[in-house]
Amino acid sequence: MEQQKIQVRDITVAYEQTIVIPKLNLNIPGGKITIVVGGNGCGKSTLIKSVAGILKPKKGEIFINGTEIKKQAPRETAKQMAVLPQSPQVPEGLLVKELVAYGRFPYQKPVGGLTEHDHQVIRWAMEATGILALKDRRADSLSGGQRQRAWIAMALAQETEILVLDEPTTYLDMSHQLEILSLLKELNQKNQTTIVMVIHEINHASRFADHIIGMKEGQMVFEGTPADVITEQNLKTLYGIRAKLTLSEDGTYPVCTEYELE
Amino acid sequence: MKKRQRTAVALVVFLFLAVFVGALMYGSYSMTAKDVVMTLFGKGDGMQNIAVLDLRLPRAVTAVLTGAALSVSGCILQSVTKNDLAEPGIIGINAGAALAVVLLISVQSTSYYTALGFGTVLLMPIAAAAGAFISFLCIYLLARDNGSVRPVKMILAGIGVNTGVNALITLYQLNMSKGDYNQALAWIGGSLWGSSWMYVAMTAPIIIVLILIVFYKNRTLDVMDLGDELAMGLGVQVERERKVFLVLAVCLAACATSVAGNIAFAGLIGPHLAKRLVGPVHKRQIPAAACLSSILVLGADTLARNLFSPLEIPAGIMISLIGVPYFVYLLMKER
Repeated sequence: MEQQKIQVRDITVAYEQTIVIPKLNLNIPGGKITIVVGGNGCGKSTLIKSVAGILKPKKGEIFINGTEIKKQAPRETAKQMAVLPQSPQVPEGLLVKELVAYGRFPYQKPVGGLTEHDHQVIRWAMEATGILALKDRRADSLSGGQRQRAWIAMALAQETEILVLDEPTTYLDMSHQLEILSLLKELNQKNQTTIVMVIHEINHASRFADHIIGMKEGQMVFEGTPADVITEQNLKTLYGIRAKLTLSEDGTYPVCTEYELE
Repeated sequence: MKKRQRTAVALVVFLFLAVFVGALMYGSYSMTAKDVVMTLFGKGDGMQNIAVLDLRLPRAVTAVLTGAALSVSGCILQSVTKNDLAEPGIIGINAGAALAVVLLISVQSTSYYTALGFGTVLLMPIAAAAGAFISFLCIYLLARDNGSVRPVKMILAGIGVNTGVNALITLYQLNMSKGDYNQALAWIGGSLWGSSWMYVAMTAPIIIVLILIVFYKNRTLDVMDLGDELAMGLGVQVERERKVFLVLAVCLAACATSVAGNIAFAGLIGPHLAKRLVGPVHKRQIPAAACLSSILVLGADTLARNLFSPLEIPAGIMISLIGVPYFVYLLMKER
């Protein structure tokens, strides 16, 4: 079960001349939730975008299920991995069910409508995210939390074993953040979906991740289970803060109770 | 929602037929709708045959084709640049085409005046298409960034090149004789005057094939509406597709502009209206937009021919007169 879904080998990623990730090696375990944490500008979004195939590394390779993404047709990659970028824009007037149906794009031929299987998957995706009742609403009329669920439904409709999300909880209030993360956890447990995401809130990462990757200046500074890597020392390295940690009530993950700038 | 859409489609089809028959009915020789239909089925007298089959029908077909071409071009541009105000004019089609035509008129004004010979009729559209492509190429090269085209940069480059080319046009127009000046102005204003079956034969096959290609790729346009990152995640090769779509949009707009002059505003309003009526999914938006712009161009041309008869005003001006107030209304209703 512990197979490596995504392998990143010696990648160098740069925007124009600015090198954001000098040289990075890491593995994303299959069937688990991996959360990437780090300060602003540490390269975590860059890493996510490289894995998603949006940015092309200058050097190095990225493998998905053992195949190098560069050497695979984008449509084939899209059947294995769904990507949800940071705060995407909904086209004006698009209905929720139409938005979710766009997730079937990699499977569709240019002509002809949706197949029976397409309809089933779209319905399942809307049910799983609890937006079936909203299917005839305009996606741009939804609240932030509902809209995020619609986007996740679209990603689910892609029927992939890997889901990559860049800050899926940004701009959401506390209860909606929790709702989205619980939904992702549920999908991970029910379908063994491999989930990789960037999250800023350290307590959320600690609670929902199976595997945490800490990044600083384009390098991985630590990785492991929350209990192993969410330590006062690591938080100091990552953010330069003095944090007080205790264990959660059930004793499974660390919780940051107080933090102070050094 | 579904019911509203069906009503909208029925209304658009009805309106299209009404405007089409109307365009064939009115002119310096007016006839009834019944006469028009009879003539179309080969039962008209000599006068009716000339008016409908030789003069009005080719002009109406040209109007429909140009309207559809501009509209589909507008649909593409609005999705590819993710800018609701994108239209064929912005990628430099009109200015470039206009400059080429102005140059042509000023260079060979004598042959233009003596007779509207076969050569000139053919030369104007070709010059316009060439001009359209050259100015688009300028904008494209300016907007290029490491081999990729950034939509925002393209719009800025388009505005810049448009301004420059328009300055050149004005410069040439100042040096023209009054007759040439009027001719150039009518063309720039957008006119279907003189449309013949030859125009139709030249543009119809190209426009129809281009529209079919775009329609075949409608799902790619849908997904590109979501933004580059999501489109890539869904397996679209965004850079490549964007180039393909831009070339398609330029070809469509150049075809339309080459026979009808500067009536690009139709390419802005058609896609907008279509989006309101049937939503942004291109499978529905493209046909609806094509129909709506055809209605607009054909209706405007019919009005332009008859309103101040025997004087004719350019259809492009008519479209602006109808279109602008409606557009302002749309903008005001928007949230």
